Amino acid sequence: MSLSRSPSPVPGGGWSSPGLNMNGSGRSSPAKMSFGGPANGAVTWESARLKSQGVAGYPSFSTQNQGFFTRHMRRISSSLPSFNVGADDRYVEKEKLGRRPWRIPFIGRVRAMSARLGRKWKIRALVLAIFLACYLLFYITPLCYYWRRTSWLGGGEKFVIILAANVGGGVMEWKGAREWAIERDSVRNKRKYTSRWGYELEIVDMSTKKRYAHEWRESWEKVDSIRNSFRKYPKAEWIWWLDLNTFVMEPSYSLQHHIFDDLNKHIYRDINEYNPLNISHPLTGDYLDPDSLSPIGDGSPDSVNLILPQDCSGFNLGSFFVRRSDWTDRLLDIWWDPVSYEQKHMQWEHKEQDALEQLYTTQPWIRSHTAFLPQRLINSFPTGACSDNGNDTRIHYNQDDRDFVVNMAGCEWGRDCWGEMYNFRELSYYLNRNPWERFKEDLIAVIWFKLTGQKVKL
Amino acid sequence: MHFAYPARKNSNPPPYLPRSTRWLKIRRRHLKPFAALALAVLGLIWLFSGGSKHKGGRVISGKPAVVVVTVFDGKYDNSPYIKSIRENRSRYAEKHGYGTLLTSASDYDLKGSPASWSKVVAMRHAITKYPDCKYLWYLDQNAFIMNPYLKVEDFVMGSTKLEDTMIKDFPVVPPDSIIKTFANLKGGDVELVLTQDKEGLAAGSFVIRNGEWAKFFLDTWFDPLYRSYNFQKAEAHALEHIVQWHPTILSKLAIVPQRTINAYAGDAHGEQYKDGDIAVLFPHCSGTGDKSCARVSERFSQQWRTSFSKA
Repeated sequence: MSLSRSPSPVPGGGWSSPGLNMNGSGRSSPAKMSFGGPANGAVTWESARLKSQGVAGYPSFSTQNQGFFTRHMRRISSSLPSFNVGADDRYVEKEKLGRRPWRIPFIGRVRAMSARLGRKWKIRALVLAIFLACYLLFYITPLCYYWRRTSWLGGGEKFVIILAANVGGGVMEWKGAREWAIERDSVRNKRKYTSRWGYELEIVDMSTKKRYAHEWRESWEKVDSIRNSFRKYPKAEWIWWLDLNTFVMEPSYSLQHHIFDDLNKHIYRDINEYNPLNISHPLTGDYLDPDSLSPIGDGSPDSVNLILPQDCSGFNLGSFFVRRSDWTDRLLDIWWDPVSYEQKHMQWEHKEQDALEQLYTTQPWIRSHTAFLPQRLINSFPTGACSDNGNDTRIHYNQDDRDFVVNMAGCEWGRDCWGEMYNFRELSYYLNRNPWERFKEDLIAVIWFKLTGQKVKL
Repeated sequence: MHFAYPARKNSNPPPYLPRSTRWLKIRRRHLKPFAALALAVLGLIWLFSGGSKHKGGRVISGKPAVVVVTVFDGKYDNSPYIKSIRENRSRYAEKHGYGTLLTSASDYDLKGSPASWSKVVAMRHAITKYPDCKYLWYLDQNAFIMNPYLKVEDFVMGSTKLEDTMIKDFPVVPPDSIIKTFANLKGGDVELVLTQDKEGLAAGSFVIRNGEWAKFFLDTWFDPLYRSYNFQKAEAHALEHIVQWHPTILSKLAIVPQRTINAYAGDAHGEQYKDGDIAVLFPHCSGTGDKSCARVSERFSQQWRTSFSKA
């Protein structure tokens, strides 16, 4: 029998014998061939192996593994109490008299010890024990994680971070080693951050997709993925969108403490505070209600449903928050509209970002529920971005202030994404060294350098 | 090998079982500190969790229940026809304690869009003027309210009534839109009540429930990009567009039989008025000439006056 091509390796390992095995893939499952054995001509490595193991191959009529007792005898006997103190040869010599070692129960010993202690020491020991127990509970067991997660304790469940991965991937270009490295670092960074604070992390695939047969709906998937995440995490209240080229520099900041516990203090709703787009605010027109005419909406933090930062050229959707609400549903629904898209898609370079600016400019119901965050709270830029006017304290990262998140916006146009990511990663590690590392590197290594003139890495 | 005899049992067993261990027993005098401790722990948890702080939006008290909105085109303001329309609206509102907003299209800056867009702004204006109203009824200028007894909040928007009348699972824009009205919509969830005539969705008479949704809907409808798009029938086609493309709007929409709020004087464009209908509209009537609005309306002018004076 000649074959037109060599047979492929079979999943079970080994190599099927093509000349002998005519009927199929070369793999024969044990069940199928149990009775036939070699008689049906299928001699394969697998069948041979199984046969030699005695798993199958002959009709089973063995006395092994039959019945309850035979199967469980070993287990039963091993759990029976044993009285063989002297059974082990090595100890027989020592235990000549057959005397048992004293076995005082643990509780008894503790009680005896506490009886020996004075009252003062008892209290001290109790306090110490409580501290130890707390430490164990909170930092060794996952209790800390669950505490931070639970919505009525730490509230971590209420936050979902969406990380946009694989931007422009798919049909547009292949990812190189650097892109993979960026993605890996960025994802790991977010994963660590979310697991530390008990948030949810949703990584979405942003590879270019078609929504309708006739159009590329590039980068509008933001809307779809936010909507999906609200559905997937029913306990989520806030969704934090993060672009791939971001890095959480200070993982020790929780979102609650950093922003949401005192929302009104951090946000500004009057865009005139920082208004690179020169949007006239508040709206005018005597047909509008007072909330729409007021520069700060109704002023209550409860009415804020969208929080985003502004960079030097307007809204920045590289890092922003949306809250689960009817308002958000409406925004997500209205954000992409075919009539607006048809008229504006040539002008809207930044697609959904421009569309949002358009909505904000023209529609009062958007304005009264949108708030802005000073950019450096969640979206500091490296010096390369927005660099036309030099360094701006409102925009650019400053390590002395320990900015929360850095966004390497626009690094794919002529800058070195991976280089920036790497530097910020190392800087973040450096800034967040633990006391022991600080002691080694800032004290011992320096002293050593002064004494011997040699730099050491400890 | 022999064992000592077991101790002889007492013939009077102790009345209570002896305490099995000296651990894990809570004496009564221990209860208090335990309770205090538990309370303290709970208190701490409550303190750190901070509790839920969310409040809903402002509550709409429903006074007045309905606001009737009409925008006048401002061409023949002093004609008896326009005056009778104003009177018609005011008397109806007075009878039920409703509010009215009777404005002129020229009151609003539409930035060059067709004047028919002014109805959207006027509705927004009505919300501003009557923030506590429950429903807003927009009725075109060329229309009379014929039945003074029908109350909008019961006859149109009443929850069970609405569930009976609304047309379910029906193409939004007849005859062939693939977008259909919801099949399972509760009367209480409806925010917008529309009708269809022979040409499609009719924007001559519609009812909105006041609230955040209303603001969203009106602002969206009034989007400058829709106004600049040159829809053939301006705001009516823009309405058809948003209703079909945006599920947050479709899911709040009920389409009711045309004569519920939008009967026409003739049957050329839609269903014809019959006695007892709440209102009659004169669509496509012109300013002057044989088919002028004043002429068409003459027939109804007397009728509404008599029925209102009887009421």
